[in-house]
Amino acid sequence: MPRIERHADVAWQGTNARGTGHIDAGSGAFTGLEYSLAVRIGKGTEGKTSPEELLAAAHAGCFAMSLAGELGDDDAQIQVTANVVMDEVEAKGHLIVESQLHVRAHANVDEEAFRRAVQAADEGCPFSQLIKASAKVSIDADLEE
Amino acid sequence: MTERSAQVTWQGDLMSGSGEIQEVPSGAFGPLQISWPSRAEDEHGGKTSPEELIAAAHAACFAMALAHGLAEAGHPPERLQTSATITFVPGTGITTSALTVVGTVPGIDEAAFLEAAEQAEEGCPVSGALKGNVELTLDARLAS
Repeated sequence: MPRIERHADVAWQGTNARGTGHIDAGSGAFTGLEYSLAVRIGKGTEGKTSPEELLAAAHAGCFAMSLAGELGDDDAQIQVTANVVMDEVEAKGHLIVESQLHVRAHANVDEEAFRRAVQAADEGCPFSQLIKASAKVSIDADLEE
Repeated sequence: MTERSAQVTWQGDLMSGSGEIQEVPSGAFGPLQISWPSRAEDEHGGKTSPEELIAAAHAACFAMALAHGLAEAGHPPERLQTSATITFVPGTGITTSALTVVGTVPGIDEAAFLEAAEQAEEGCPVSGALKGNVELTLDARLAS
């Protein structure tokens, strides 16, 4: 069984409240992404990312691939939006409490087969599985004509 | 409560199809290409993958939590260099996240730094999301 490793590096300067960090992907696909506390927990993003935005991208990518695998349709078109929710929980601090997936797909299957494929994709997507220990995964999925 | 979202489009089946992580709402990155071969083989071909994005999220979350803990303990860091390596076994799932940190922290000893790093590993929200299903490891040291 192959073991695939992927890594990323972060350089953080200064305190949590006023410092900033920069994120580099091991693959080079993205480099120097800036983030800070104010952007992470604030309303505005100022063009900066956050751990939760990166997780949303990971979950949407993971689920889209799992669903493509379940549908097995060369002509499938899948669109997945993941919305990662972090909340402050009493006595536990900030926790990632939910990832909401919105799925739209065109594929050569009937509604029932599509439902089964979505269910199987959720069970098969490694990211869905790993966050279920602590957070909820909710999915709304539509098969479009 | 904070919400962050991202959108992916995928065309085709798993093995020969391909996907795109669209530019994220913050505008910080994207579009980024993804595919199964670049995810599940040793050679990434310069493409990102869900596991690399999780690594980025975890390394970033850990750095921030550690900066917070050190400042609370009276030792604000000058610089923290963190990394996370995610191991993915296709067919099994994501098995480990290995965190490393090299810190430049004036006036702190190795033991206190290690303790702060362990607390950050335990307490950061991304660790919280991974814990239970994924083995977390930590290698922390001060810059010499």
